[in-house]
Amino acid sequence: MSSIKEKFNQISPSEFFYSNRDLAGFSNPTRSLYTAVREFVENALDACDQKGILPDVHLTIKAVDPEKSDPKPYILTVKDNGPGIDAEHIPLAFGTVLYGSKFGLKQARGMFGLGATMAILYGQITTNKPVTVKSSSDAKTQNQFEILLDIQKNKPVIVKHTTKEISKKGLSVSICLEGDYSKAGNKIRDYVYETSLITPYASITFDDPKGQKFSHPRFVKDIPAPPTIIRPHPHGIDVERIRRMIVESQFEIPTIDDTMIEKVRKDLGLSKKILSFTSIMDKAKKKWKTLPRQVRVVIALMSFLKMDFEKLNKIRIEDLDIPNKKLFYWDFGDSQSKSVDMDPESQYYKQLTNTVQGEPLTTFLTKRFQRVGPTTALKFAAFAKLKPEKRMGTLTNQELVNLSDALQKFDDFMAPDSSCLAPLGAEPLEKGIKKFFNPDFVAVVQRPASAYSGFPFIIEMGIAYGGDIKSGGPHVYRYANRIPLLYDEGSDVVIKVVNDTDWGRYKVKGEPPFIIVSHICSTRIPYKTAGKENVADRQEIERELRLALQFLSRKLASFMSKRGQAEMAKKRANLYAKYIPMIAEFCTELSGKKKEPNYKKMLETEIASETKKAVKEENEIGNK
Amino acid sequence: MKLATSKKQKENKIKSRSKKADDKQKTILEMLKSHGAKIYDDLDNGQFPKFSIPSRSVSNIVYDKKLRQYVLGNNAALRSSRNSAQLRSFTQLMWLAFFANRLTNERKSSTLRDVYYSSQAFAVEFEDQSESDNIIVDLEAVTSRAREDFHIFPEERSSIFGDLNIEYTIPGYEGKTMNLANHPDGYSIGPSLTTAELVDTSAEIVIAIEKGGLFTRFVEEQVDKKFKSIIINTGGQAPRSTRTLLKRLHDEMKLPVICLTDGDVYGEHIAMVIKSGSANAAHLRELTVPDAKWVGVWATDIEKYKLPTIPMTESDIKRCYDLKKDPRYQDGIWKKELDVFLRLKRKAELEAFSKYGLTNITDKYLPQKLELAKSL
Repeated sequence: MSSIKEKFNQISPSEFFYSNRDLAGFSNPTRSLYTAVREFVENALDACDQKGILPDVHLTIKAVDPEKSDPKPYILTVKDNGPGIDAEHIPLAFGTVLYGSKFGLKQARGMFGLGATMAILYGQITTNKPVTVKSSSDAKTQNQFEILLDIQKNKPVIVKHTTKEISKKGLSVSICLEGDYSKAGNKIRDYVYETSLITPYASITFDDPKGQKFSHPRFVKDIPAPPTIIRPHPHGIDVERIRRMIVESQFEIPTIDDTMIEKVRKDLGLSKKILSFTSIMDKAKKKWKTLPRQVRVVIALMSFLKMDFEKLNKIRIEDLDIPNKKLFYWDFGDSQSKSVDMDPESQYYKQLTNTVQGEPLTTFLTKRFQRVGPTTALKFAAFAKLKPEKRMGTLTNQELVNLSDALQKFDDFMAPDSSCLAPLGAEPLEKGIKKFFNPDFVAVVQRPASAYSGFPFIIEMGIAYGGDIKSGGPHVYRYANRIPLLYDEGSDVVIKVVNDTDWGRYKVKGEPPFIIVSHICSTRIPYKTAGKENVADRQEIERELRLALQFLSRKLASFMSKRGQAEMAKKRANLYAKYIPMIAEFCTELSGKKKEPNYKKMLETEIASETKKAVKEENEIGNK
Repeated sequence: MKLATSKKQKENKIKSRSKKADDKQKTILEMLKSHGAKIYDDLDNGQFPKFSIPSRSVSNIVYDKKLRQYVLGNNAALRSSRNSAQLRSFTQLMWLAFFANRLTNERKSSTLRDVYYSSQAFAVEFEDQSESDNIIVDLEAVTSRAREDFHIFPEERSSIFGDLNIEYTIPGYEGKTMNLANHPDGYSIGPSLTTAELVDTSAEIVIAIEKGGLFTRFVEEQVDKKFKSIIINTGGQAPRSTRTLLKRLHDEMKLPVICLTDGDVYGEHIAMVIKSGSANAAHLRELTVPDAKWVGVWATDIEKYKLPTIPMTESDIKRCYDLKKDPRYQDGIWKKELDVFLRLKRKAELEAFSKYGLTNITDKYLPQKLELAKSL
């Protein structure tokens, strides 16, 4: 019997994404070109948003050889006026996968900067050309890099690095990639168009490969308030995340070497003096509040060892046996292991247990989560059947799982903080819709913040009717965190809610010229697929969408009924003009008369009065 | 000399008959004119014309025990040309009156379908024929006249056979006579027959039968001669022209009318409509033969004659319960037979008698029923 020995190799993130690029939206030349545009434009907008800069974004797509037929290599360049990136970070930021600045919990278009590196990776795979990055973060020097990605090692290879003088901050990224503009063009133009609707404070231009220029100047001068980074909400957390948070909260016993002792001396203000053990302790007590954690730990150890600096220099701490309240150390002088008992009543005992066992549960909850106060923390401890003073570091695996479950199930946490969200705002949204569609009617609403699974979200929605809007509506413009969603609309929750609406009830009939703009803002959009194009139907989100749509639909209905009255008056006038002469004709022959009855004046008066009514109703609509 | 006298007599007769037709035509034309004049005056006075029309909604249809038929109650609706929702149908009705005026004037007949198409020559749109049919009923309701009076006839035709001499009054045939026993397939009952004068007959009874198949059998078996009868095939529910003819045979020729239908709830109701009309035509008179008798096939006949049956469907049973609420089914054989149908939950067709031989129905059943009819 022969056995096949399998080879296990660790693969780098670059390699992983190289073999799974479909996941990130790089499945074919059409989709890839579109995704690459998206990633770079969104990065540019995010960078400006975070620094409160009104974005100027220039997108250019040029064919390397215009004569060739699609799919073929294109050069894609996105230039912004954002903060730029420091030269030292550029190679890593653009030459490694999973390197980015967008960690932390707040609303942003993308996460982790992964998409952009994927686009670079895709470009390199298909054309074997490096990415060109030009960046200035100080408005003086521009660093220009040409970088290739070493896929196996997940490391950047700098091909070229030059600098030159410049007077503006900003970043420009240029890649060469295989794409199909003849097929992707429509989507890309739609993307740029729809992005400018939801980003009215940005100026976006697009030069396409056919020499056409699309320009979307900004029409709102105020940038929405940037979101703040906040702590996570207990509902939106899992076991792995808790484990990492515990590690962050624990500290190791510092190695007590010369440098350490020197630091303690300095912090106690005892650099030169030689003091006895008791005098050191007295001094420490007085200065306790100003001491850093590491120094406190050393002092606590000294209190049990009853040693001054001189003696401390001759030992090494071996172990803290908290259950048996013993402190083990190695004495260099005797070359043997010794131990002392620790007094649990001592104030220093707490300092040491804190250090090795982590914080108590209640402290952990109040310090590391949003919206948890001491009272809630105690209530939760009872709910989770854990002691409030239970040290986080002493939780077993099973207890961790139970804790994570309990965090999900406990209903008394306050709703998530929504300060991490950055909705566009009702006013800019309305301005955008008016500018884009010049509608006869527009209404917008911003719902109060809500949450699903511990992630806060806000729904913004607008509805518009008539004007430049094409018939055959409702046309739905879907946005999530200021990104237009263009693909896979069939399974989207917004479409579901719109389709569920009986528009007849709101006096909207036939193939109406009307649009709906829906914007979901959240720290985590529950996308159905990795392609980030359709939002899953989470109950809480669906409910908020419904409420927003109902509110707007009622407004639309009242507009439609006003408009209906105006139309009715017009229609009546038309009907009179059409039918009354016919009645006159028929009754003349029927009654055996020669001349038609004298009805013209009556008809004219009536038509004039109906027309007046119609104009009046229309003016009322216009004034609104 | 004698011959000359009889010839002159005949001429006088024809004259008097066509005078009768002329008179009728005159009345109708006068009535239409007066309606037209009212509308004309309204317009001439600078007002939106309007008129009132008896309501034909279910709540306004009531049974008149004296007349022994359904009639419209006192509710009426105002149709105004000012109301934009009514303007279109107002115009349609005006046109129809105008069109009926022309038809009557020119003594031309047309069908319901003709009316639908004729409207298009005047830019009066009807969505479909049912809309124009509905406007025709409006005209009937406003004028209390049947559409046939305006020379508008339905498509459906039933037929008649038997010794009856008629004389046409329609243009081109005036004075021409015909004996309705001359053609064994029977004569179809159309505008010329309904408007013809009924001259004389040797028959003593009219047998209205529901089905064409049985009608042919009756002709073959010479039921007309054997029982001195005129046979009419109603072809299911009797059309209005047939009901008019039945009424005239009863009123003018003094002939009793009996109905022979399938042995089911629908058959029973066919007889009832001949006798006392339908709710649909509650706005009209002169369409009923209150003395008409239903002689079979009764529910009790099913047991008595041991007829092969088929089970009633759910809709049959529902129809039974509907009719039980009808005031006309509250007594006599109408109630009794309905109850028996409900008890049996089975029905029998006229053809069921064929089980006992093709002529069983004419040889055995019919004589017994004719005898019975005298006592009903």
